[in-house]
Amino acid sequence: MSAFAVKGTAEEARALPRGPVRGLPWTVLRLHRAALVVWVTFLLAAVGTLVWEVEVIADSVRERIASCGENGGLCRLTTLVDYSGTISWASTLVYYSFFAVAAFAGGALIGRELENGTAQLAWTQSVSPTRWLAAKLAVPAVLLVLGGTVFVLVFRWAWAANRDLMGDDWTFNDVFAARGPALVAYGLCGLAVGALAGVVLRRSLPALGISCVVMYLLNHNLEKHRVDLWPTVASGGSTVGGLPDDVWQVGDGSFHTQSHYWPMHLVETGIVLGVAGLATAAAFGLLRRRTA
Amino acid sequence: MSRDEEGIALAAVGLGKRYRRRRGPVLRNCSFRLPAGRICALVGPNGAGKSTLLSLAAGLIRPTEGTLTVLGTTPAEARTRFAYVAQSKPLPPQLTVAATLRLGAELNRARWDRAAAERIAYGPLAPGGDRDGALDPTSKIRSLSGGQRTRVALALAFGKRPELMLLDEPMADLDPLARRELLGALLGEAAEHGTTIVISSHVIAELEGACDHLLLMGGGRIRLGGDPEQLLAAHTLLTGPARDLTGHTVVESRDAGRQLTALIRPGGPLPDDWQTAAPSLEELLLAHLRNPDAPDLFTEETVETDENEENARA
Repeated sequence: MSAFAVKGTAEEARALPRGPVRGLPWTVLRLHRAALVVWVTFLLAAVGTLVWEVEVIADSVRERIASCGENGGLCRLTTLVDYSGTISWASTLVYYSFFAVAAFAGGALIGRELENGTAQLAWTQSVSPTRWLAAKLAVPAVLLVLGGTVFVLVFRWAWAANRDLMGDDWTFNDVFAARGPALVAYGLCGLAVGALAGVVLRRSLPALGISCVVMYLLNHNLEKHRVDLWPTVASGGSTVGGLPDDVWQVGDGSFHTQSHYWPMHLVETGIVLGVAGLATAAAFGLLRRRTA
Repeated sequence: MSRDEEGIALAAVGLGKRYRRRRGPVLRNCSFRLPAGRICALVGPNGAGKSTLLSLAAGLIRPTEGTLTVLGTTPAEARTRFAYVAQSKPLPPQLTVAATLRLGAELNRARWDRAAAERIAYGPLAPGGDRDGALDPTSKIRSLSGGQRTRVALALAFGKRPELMLLDEPMADLDPLARRELLGALLGEAAEHGTTIVISSHVIAELEGACDHLLLMGGGRIRLGGDPEQLLAAHTLLTGPARDLTGHTVVESRDAGRQLTALIRPGGPLPDDWQTAAPSLEELLLAHLRNPDAPDLFTEETVETDENEENARA
């Protein structure tokens, strides 16, 4: 009974595992299978909710409003809030899911692996630390871009479908972000910031905490200064008393028209992607300096 | 690489490592060379720097000063050709044993030997028989005992079919039977493929007889290096009347009144009234560990720098 005996070599036993995903990407998906399942479920639930609300619920909402009668103001309001609120919940949760991405990246993806030595285990297989980090970031990044893009497209459709039943407008925090690439950018930024925190701190819990705090500061300040991301229109005499409904009024009387949405949105997306790029570069630089 | 570098598995020149600027160095001016094909015991007390030296060789950390050559190149470039098992045997706890071996296969696609890995993990394919201690492919790593995890970690190392194995305290968690099995497997691997094996340990006895090369670490450097038999032959244990020992290198001496007991490296013929004996390996190592001032000794082939040449045995 010798478990370590080295006798007898079966040539067919050298066969390598097959499959559509191989090498490092396989290990990233396999190690974080639980997180992947949770994330896919969450995203499908959000997309499913939007489709369900627009395709199934919207008609019944109209019927209920019609049956509210002449003096059913409160009845009408609660019905609208039900519909509008559900859609708003979906966009809010998916928008702010970058916190979960940052926590995952700092904690489970990078920090824990450096803390318990399984990262070092990978580096002493035939994989350099740089390639390891690249795969650790690329696989989730691809999934975030794909999933985020699907959600943004579905949300744009759902948000525009029944404007008469919605109580929000384009200036709401979640609506502003979820109608374009900023939503994807925030996810990627959470990933990069989490990875940097994990590489710097090499411990999962501190990295999780720090990456969430950094993402809060970034997101909070950008939301607060969204109106400053593009020049406003000064309120001229001709519009006095007659501003259109869909403007974003700034305190001093000037405002953004809805045509400013894309410039403002893209400037914010650019800033968030810039932070993501810097964090990624710093994480690679630090890892390269530390290891041989 | 120069011809000189061929056949050298590990070579360090002036190697130093400190983890924090304010703390003292863990390694300091550490120089040695290990010829390829040896089974090398890296011994020394706790905290001597054995793990740091192996981490440096594995390319997991960078030296503060000096260079370390692994298989004739840098640790990073040699990455595919050596295996490393860390002292804590880190493995992803959420994986099964089978998935961990698959991980090894996916990360070493160019040179993975599945049979070698599975032999270590599951035991040799014996017809109609489970064996004691063999691992179940479906058990989760987090449910395994320390010794079983060591077995999985070693399976990854064997599956890589490395030219050099760096094993940091691989014996610590193993029961006596598994230790013998591991030593047997390592000896077999070395004999069959010419693999160089470095095993660190703070227990000298468990490696005696298995290794044909010894590196003794102490004070952040290699104190003794070379073939254990040559190292032993260079020393003499002597007992006799207290007398001047000039001309000999004294590793350790104890005065008991007029009687003197000493471990020395003879520098010439010894007087007849001294009783001499050959020291055991353990006596040799302990004498050096108790006396940090004893000069370092390297047998010829392990000399790396000119400074050490005066210590080299002719």
